[in-house]
Formats: sequence, C-alpha cells, structure tokens
Amino acid sequence: MKDKPASTATRSHIITLLILLLPLIIIAAVTKLIGNVLFERVVITLFINLILVLGLQAFMGNSGILSFAHIGFMGIGAYASVLFSMAPQMKKLALPDLPLWLGHLQLPFLPSILIGAIIAALIAAVVSFPLMRLSDASAVITSFALLVVIHTILVHWKTVTNGPQTLFGVDRYTHLETSMCWAFIFIALAYWFKESSIGLQLRASRDEREAASTIGVNIILVRWQGFILSAFMAGLGGGLWAHFITSFSPKAFWLKETFVILSMLVIGGPNSVSGAVVGALLVTGAFEGLRGLENQINIAQILPVQLIGLTEIVLSLTMIVILIKRPLGIMGGREFR
Amino acid sequence: MISPADGHTPLTALVVQGITMDFVGLRALENVNLTLRQGEILGLIGPNGSGKTTMINVITGLLRPTAGRIQADGADITGKPPHKIAQTGVARTFQKVKLFRELTVFENVKVAAVSVGMPNRRAKEQAWVALEELGIEAWSGRIAGTLPYGHERKVEVARALAMNPKFILLDEPAAGMDEEESAALLQILTPIPEKKNLGMLIVDHDMNLIMRLCNRLHVLNYGKTIGEGTPEEVRRIPEVVEAYLGS
Ligand SMILES: Nc1ncnc2c1ncn2[C@@H]1O[C@H](COP(=O)(O)OP(=O)(O)O)[C@@H](O)[C@H]1O
Ligand SMILES: [Mg+2]
Repeated sequence: MKDKPASTATRSHIITLLILLLPLIIIAAVTKLIGNVLFERVVITLFINLILVLGLQAFMGNSGILSFAHIGFMGIGAYASVLFSMAPQMKKLALPDLPLWLGHLQLPFLPSILIGAIIAALIAAVVSFPLMRLSDASAVITSFALLVVIHTILVHWKTVTNGPQTLFGVDRYTHLETSMCWAFIFIALAYWFKESSIGLQLRASRDEREAASTIGVNIILVRWQGFILSAFMAGLGGGLWAHFITSFSPKAFWLKETFVILSMLVIGGPNSVSGAVVGALLVTGAFEGLRGLENQINIAQILPVQLIGLTEIVLSLTMIVILIKRPLGIMGGREFR
Repeated sequence: MISPADGHTPLTALVVQGITMDFVGLRALENVNLTLRQGEILGLIGPNGSGKTTMINVITGLLRPTAGRIQADGADITGKPPHKIAQTGVARTFQKVKLFRELTVFENVKVAAVSVGMPNRRAKEQAWVALEELGIEAWSGRIAGTLPYGHERKVEVARALAMNPKFILLDEPAAGMDEEESAALLQILTPIPEKKNLGMLIVDHDMNLIMRLCNRLHVLNYGKTIGEGTPEEVRRIPEVVEAYLGS
C-alpha cells in the first residue's frame, strides 16, 4: 500500500520525460533527412533556445519570480567559455590584451563550456543573494538592473570581450547532435530539480510564501539555490550558442533574446518542464512560419509597403492574449503524463 | 531561564511570557502569559478580534512581538525567522486556508516533512502517515487548488502533522464546516496529542466543541487574558461569562 504510489510516481516521471524527448528526436531525425543547412541552423537554434528556456524555468517556474537577468548569464557563459576554448594564435588576433596565462591556455570544448557555466553560476551566487528576499515588482526590477549591469560590463570590458565589437574566431563545436543531447540532459535536469526537495520547497514558497515559511522552508536559501542552478544552465546555453554562432557581440545578450526566451516560457507555461518544451517548440515554429510569410508577402508585393516586424508583433500579441486567457500558459502548470 | 525544577513550566512546553503586540494605533495583545504542555489540548478562545490569530502569528514568527519572550522546549525562539521556529517543532494551520494550490495534496504534506529536514524517503512515509491520520489518502493525487473548501482544512492539519511537531497550533480548524464535519474532525484530533506526545493549541468558536475537546482553556478579550483553567473553572469566571459565554 505504501510503496504503490511511490512506484507509480516514478513511472509517471519516466513517461513524462519520454513524451518530452520524443519530439526532439523526431525533429533531429527529420533535420538529418532533409539535410538542408539553413533548416539545420533553425533546429540547432531551437535546441539552444530550449536549453535557455529550461534554465529560466528552473528558477522562474519553481519560484514564481520573473527574472530578466537570465540572458545576462547566458552572455557570461558565452564569453567565459570562449576564453578557454579559443586557440592561442586566434586569441592574439581577437583578444590581444588578454593576460598571458589566459592567452596561452586552450582547453577542449566540454571543459570550456562547463567552466563558462560554472563562472556564470558563481557570479550569480555572489550577486543574487541579497536579491532573493525581494518578491513581486521589486524582484523584477532588480533582476532587470542586473541584466543592465552585466550587459554594460560585457560592452566595456574590452580585454576579455572585445568590447562592443564582434568577437570572432570562435571554433564551431555545437552541431545538431551536440545540441540535441544537451537539450535531453537539460530536460532531465530541469525535471529532476522541480521534483527535488529544493524544487518542491521552492514551488511551495511560490504558491504561499507565509505558509511555506511556517512549515520550515528557508525561502531565501531555496530561491538562491534555484537561481544559481538557473544561471549555470543559462551559462551552459551561452557556451553552446557561442560555439555554434562562432562570432558575436554583447548585443546578442540583450533585450531581443530576453524577450524570445521569456515569451517561450510564458506561452508554454512556466510552472512545468512540459510548458518550457511546448513553448520553445511552438514559438520557434510560429516565428519561422511568420518570418517566411513576411518574406513571401514582401516578395510578392501584396501590400503597398514593406512589411517589417510582423513576427515580433504577432508573438507579442500572442503573449498578451495567453497571459489574459491562460495566465499559467498553454500547459497550465501541468506535465504530460 | 525556566528551570525544569520549578514545576509550573516544564521543559517540554511552549512557554509564552509577557507577550505584548502593538499594531499602529492598536494593542492586539497585552502582557499575555501562556503555557502549552506536550500531550495536552489547550483551547484559546475569545471574541472576534481578541488577538487569537495574532498570538499564533507571534509564536510562529510571522510577527515580531513588541515585548515578551517565547520558549519552545527550553529554547528561546523569540524573534527567530518562521522557518527556524518551524524546525524547532512548532507547526500551525491558518484561519484563512493557505494551501500550496498548484501542488498535489501529497506534495503539500510531503513538503512539510522535507522542510523540517527529513530525508526524502522518510518524508514520503511521514506524509503518508499524516494523510491516513486525517483519512484523506484518497485525495493524495489531487491538485490542492481544486479541493472543496471543507477538505482544504484537513490537508492543512495533515501538513502540520507531517512536520512531526512538538507543538501544533490550529487556528479555527473547523471553520466553515457543518456540525457533522466538525464533529468528525474532532474525533480525529482528540487522540493525537497523547498518541504523538505533542501539545495542541486550538482556536475555535464552537463552545460545545471546545469544552469537550480541551484539557485547559485560555480566554482572551481585547488582547488581555481574562481567564484560564479547566473548562469547568473557566465557565465560572464572571468576566468570561460576561465577555463571551454569555453572549
Ligand atoms: N497585521 C495587522 N495589522 C494591524 N492590525 C491587525 C493585524 N492583524 C490583526 N490586527 C488587529 O488585531 C486585532 C486582533 O486580531 P486577531 O488576532 O485576528 O483576532 P482573532 O483571531 O481573535 O479574531 C484585531 O483588532 C485586528 O484587526
Ligand atoms: Mg482569528
């Protein structure tokens, strides 16, 4: 009697994970079959965005606190990983002012992106602790301020970022298989965290702050732990993205990407991992579809003027409608079972 | 310090000494002393607005008292954050139900065991025991926000019990229930303090229920103690009759 619910719970977790992995495998397989480079780029971007959405879900979904800082940690992970992975000859060209030890260092891809993610997590650990006592509007505003601070540092720390200019010469490591495997790992990681004792306490504090504290939840501590994990995931996503796109500037880690990732999570539903996956898939699909439509309309000159920004506007309107009609997103906080 | 030798205030008790709680322009509690011993049921009664909920909020750390001290099992918990107080073994329910709405009933109860430091496996067992205690194991998979009103209170009690507390403070656990339901809840609650050796403080308006259930009563009016003792003793205190029982 006492064991039964536990084992059915385990089984339902596995089923949920399988349901979430399946579409990724199908998409990756189809991409391989089609063999179109542009299509493959869209799919790799989708997988990396999914990783970022899952990272945001780990904090925002479980704690209920909207964080704008996420993409800042993506940026830290991107730049930090490149500092370790880039070949010394290339560093002389791209980042000539690096300190000697760093200039001569080169690590393989995997340690590089892991170090990048750890650096993002460490920075998050240091800067976020005082923010974790804030809730609601003040939490949102301060997380936005954090994004601004990170962005400003990336723009001005020329020695390690090449400043506002494009950092070039990054090797390509992130391919379809790599990004798909990481997306798998991150789905499992986000799911595990949500079900973990920290995730459970965090979700309790999201639903009822006072009641959570009176059953023994140290709210600041569990929020902090969630934020660090989330920054780690964002940092890793940034490292993967940097080694996919191979040249980028701090502009990449700013409001546009923030909005894309946020809208994916909000539309899918932040309170579940399934919501994160559904949001990333749907928004990417809609985004690409609308962009294609926009191009077609412009090429065929159906309208007297050039159509610009249709994609962004439709996406924004969708987000507004969803927030009004289904505040918990398409998945409404539930997982596929 | 309270010594175990002085007899009145045993070490295994929740001891509230001289608590005063001021809100802006309002003294909600004034110099209240109260002792809750393990194994007993203490009724905290008084008219609406007399400070009962405020007392529970002060004990559980949601409010910091203006003056006074609180000790649980000999440890000073005055001014400690709520989660620390919970971890020393003080559990509560809320007059206005506060369930974790998006969690299942099982998760609602399990998280309480987890938060006071039990490892996952023990927390699950503990949650299961608490659900069975309240006779609500059949709802374990339901999302708490979808429960009918009367059921929510039982989940709150189960959640508090899952912490394996030394002291449990129930703020109107039968509010909104009909007579039959509240009698059934009473049946469930009565044996718990002795069985688990915990002190139970219960706030309720139903005088019949309170008189039958409690070993001792503590009566508040306008934030002041106007009587304490066994139900029979309290019944004979003129101020109590005037302020509360008479009406
Ligand atoms: N947070 C608060 N701020 C100001 N006044 C409060 C607060 N909480 C309770 N009060 C006031 O304190 C008094 C006692 O309230 P309460 O403890 O809820 O009474 P009871 O639970 O006995 O009905 C009431 O007059 C109430 O309005
Ligand atoms: Mg009250």
